[in-house]
Amino acid sequence: MLKTIFLLPVFIFCSFLFSADQAQSSDWEKIMQKARGQTVYFNGWGGSDPINDYIRWAGDQVKKRYQVEVKHVKVSDIGEVVSRILAEKSGGREHGGSVDLMWINGENFSTMKRNNLLQPPYSQLLPHLSLVDTENKKSTLYDFTVPVDNMEVPWGMAQLVFLYDKEHIKTHPKNMGELLSFAETHPGRVSYPLPPNFHGTTFLKQALIELTPDRKQLSRPVSESDFDLVTTPLWDYLDKLHPHMWRKGTSFPANGSEMKQLLNDGELFIALSFNPAEASNGIATGELPESIRTYVHDSGTIGNSHFVAIPFNASAREGALVFANFLLSPEAQARKSDPAIWGDPTVLSMDKLNREEKNMFQSIPQGVATLSPEALGTVLLEPHASWVEALEKGWLKRYSR
Amino acid sequence: MGRGIGERLAQKIQSLTFLMVGQNRNPLQFFPYLTIAAFLAPIILGLVGTWLPAFGYLPIIGADDFTLQSYRELLAHPSLPGALRSTLISGLSATLISLFLSLWITAHLYGTAFWSFIQRTLAPLLAIPHAAFALGLTFLIAPSGWLIRLFSPGLTGFVFPPDWATTRDPLAISLTITMIFKEVPFLLLMTIGALNQLDIKRTVWVGRSLGFQKFKVWMRLVIPQLYPMLRLPVLAVLAYSLSVVDLALIIGPSLPPPLAVLIDRWFNDPDLSMRLIGAAGATLLFIVITFFIGVFIVVEHVVAMLTRPRLLNGLRHSWWGQMKSTATLAAVTVITTTGLSLFLLSLWSVAKNWRFPDALPRHLSLFYWTKSLPLIVEPFLTAAAVGLSSAVIAIILVLGCLENELHLSRSKIDSISQKSILIIYLPLLIPQIGFLFGIQTIVTNLHIEGSWFSLIWVHLVFVLPYIFLTLATTYRNYDQRYVQVATILSGSSLHSFFRVKVVMLTKPILFSLAVGFAVSIAQYLPTLYVGAGRFATITTETVSLASGSDRRVIAVYALCQFLLPFLVYSLAIWLPALLFRNRQLMKN
Repeated sequence: MLKTIFLLPVFIFCSFLFSADQAQSSDWEKIMQKARGQTVYFNGWGGSDPINDYIRWAGDQVKKRYQVEVKHVKVSDIGEVVSRILAEKSGGREHGGSVDLMWINGENFSTMKRNNLLQPPYSQLLPHLSLVDTENKKSTLYDFTVPVDNMEVPWGMAQLVFLYDKEHIKTHPKNMGELLSFAETHPGRVSYPLPPNFHGTTFLKQALIELTPDRKQLSRPVSESDFDLVTTPLWDYLDKLHPHMWRKGTSFPANGSEMKQLLNDGELFIALSFNPAEASNGIATGELPESIRTYVHDSGTIGNSHFVAIPFNASAREGALVFANFLLSPEAQARKSDPAIWGDPTVLSMDKLNREEKNMFQSIPQGVATLSPEALGTVLLEPHASWVEALEKGWLKRYSR
Repeated sequence: MGRGIGERLAQKIQSLTFLMVGQNRNPLQFFPYLTIAAFLAPIILGLVGTWLPAFGYLPIIGADDFTLQSYRELLAHPSLPGALRSTLISGLSATLISLFLSLWITAHLYGTAFWSFIQRTLAPLLAIPHAAFALGLTFLIAPSGWLIRLFSPGLTGFVFPPDWATTRDPLAISLTITMIFKEVPFLLLMTIGALNQLDIKRTVWVGRSLGFQKFKVWMRLVIPQLYPMLRLPVLAVLAYSLSVVDLALIIGPSLPPPLAVLIDRWFNDPDLSMRLIGAAGATLLFIVITFFIGVFIVVEHVVAMLTRPRLLNGLRHSWWGQMKSTATLAAVTVITTTGLSLFLLSLWSVAKNWRFPDALPRHLSLFYWTKSLPLIVEPFLTAAAVGLSSAVIAIILVLGCLENELHLSRSKIDSISQKSILIIYLPLLIPQIGFLFGIQTIVTNLHIEGSWFSLIWVHLVFVLPYIFLTLATTYRNYDQRYVQVATILSGSSLHSFFRVKVVMLTKPILFSLAVGFAVSIAQYLPTLYVGAGRFATITTETVSLASGSDRRVIAVYALCQFLLPFLVYSLAIWLPALLFRNRQLMKN
């Protein structure tokens, strides 16, 4: 009897949990039913062949399993898609929009969120969302410090890494100071992508974090901090670095991918990437030679997450949810993290997976050029989103004349 | 003077009543209206869509008062002076040098065996898309490019590529050269079309019999007749060179980039308020282009005035006439550079890994071809369908307009509709990026985005001006007496139009069809914006891939993109020769 009384609340609690779970799963059933036969127009950057291949594979899977058709709309800059959605909003198109799901993060997300261009919170509907490692991967909750608020679905992790060819250089720099002396001894072999390119701005932020005397100010909005005081060391540094850079700092690579190519050509000795497995992937596809390796700076490098999001007027909302959920599945995430496929780190928590699922991740060969999670070191959080624009403006004013 | 205006007014009233009453049931009269209707709407809306935000009105992002703020910000932008500088240096010098080179080559080489060789190479020269060419040229002239690889490390001693600014140089020289290599073939094509209307053989014959050196005959007799027919194409080259984006992204300076690139960047900025500055920038670029077109026309007149006395100085020889070898050299340079660029694209498409200083890839593989080809088929066919439909529709509209013009001038009617046809040139003058946002909004409002109809329509907006441009002058210079004779003989004006005029003009018509087709193939943003992502063409695939940079994949796509216009240009050049192989006099 005593036992029963003791167990009763547990039982009630459990049945509660069960019914909540059931409610969620029956909601999801409905979504899956509605999704059947829908065509999802997934808009995203289409500049990488391995990524395009991966998306095609994912599309084939959801077609087979859930009868959802996925069309990958490849663009050169996601800003073009933001423009299109903006035009639809201007034209009063509240339903039947042309974009069902888009690949996004950072400033573009913050803009779309602020201008109500996204669906009201929806990611909590996805069964796989609970597998995301929100405890250790804070950037899945805060995209460039902007709260995600269930308005985008985490897809992958990114961390700034540097690539070099061990046949070209024996020792690589370990911080911004050493990068400068490296540039001095190897004139013309160091550069960074042209801001406001995403990779270029990240380089500026990395340098700022390493060089500024007062790092704490960076987590606050720019307006609340002393911009000049905080950034003076950065500009001093760049003033010293530029004369020793590629083309003496008069010209910059357009983006991270171009740096990778210039590294292959030997024009540059150091390239940078946001994908820790970029080098291994490049080796796997034959784009890069076997001798390419990866390194990070001693004090850590900037990391963030990238997401998929559903615009406010998506035509195939349910189909988009089903596809987003599939992208989050352990199976799809494991395949994505394979350097031979793409090499994009997972957003999932290994602790939340069962043994079989964990196995899928652990059985993947990581490639010679990929650093272990320990070697990747500390992940530095992005400065407050407002710093991006302020840094870009300051940079343009100084160097783009 | 006053009487002239009065007369013209009377004529206009007469022509208006004439059209309204429709005494003369001329079905052609609808062509200008149809053409303008297809254009007026998108152009006006496109302009409004650009000018409103330029003056601070874009309610969707919370900007709803009219101010000059975006202009102030634009003018205060640190990159503006430098951007304008590289736009002007590259745009103006590319136009002038291209014009000079194409006339120089024609004057020296026309009628030689080498000239027919040049004509044969025009198809591939013109067909190679601008971006693909810039890419191929980068593979050639970059510090790690093929030219240096050929001699490294043997002759140069370079184990690593030198740090030279042979591409993306701050003065935009590499960008200028790239544009010249692309525009000289275009102007040569236009020259060939125009020369068909001049009796070159007899002009040269008369000039030579008077003792003029052949080059002098060209300078004195041919070019003064030829240039007016080249004016519009030259102005189009000018407008294009001042507003080019894709080439500048690949090979242009980056600190700062040309103005059009800056505008493009502002319109894609995550900070939506930058679109206001983008719109102001687009308006500024529009003004710059219009201004320099004006300047160009004034300079033309001044040059004509200044050189007129020299035309009559009676000199039979000139030292310049001895410089045939320079013209040959120029033509050879253009042809071999383009050829090498294509060769390097092909080489990259089959390379496994290809590092400096290897002159050739160590391992070859067809992997990217076999993998990409099945994926390319659909985008390839879509691009072909859109290109053919828009080019054919444009040809029909332009032929209708030009015939109507002829009809009106015969009836001595000064038609308003015919003059307003000039507005179809507007899309050439406005930077695409600023103009498209307006069109996109309208198409979205009408719920016709993502349809074949709207896609072909928006392609027409860009294709039609080029078809008009490439056809109008030649068409207007056609000797109408042939048709008159034919009409007398056959009794049917329709019959004589199709059986005589169209047949005689097959060559220029096919040329402009090919140009229009190539213009359609080149459209990336319009396809994406108005196609709403529903249409993947070979170009949308290539451009999006080019924003990453696995050269091997890009090379495969770029070569396939090249193939489409190449086929159509080849057809335009070979078909007339084949059709009219038994008509001696149609061979110029």
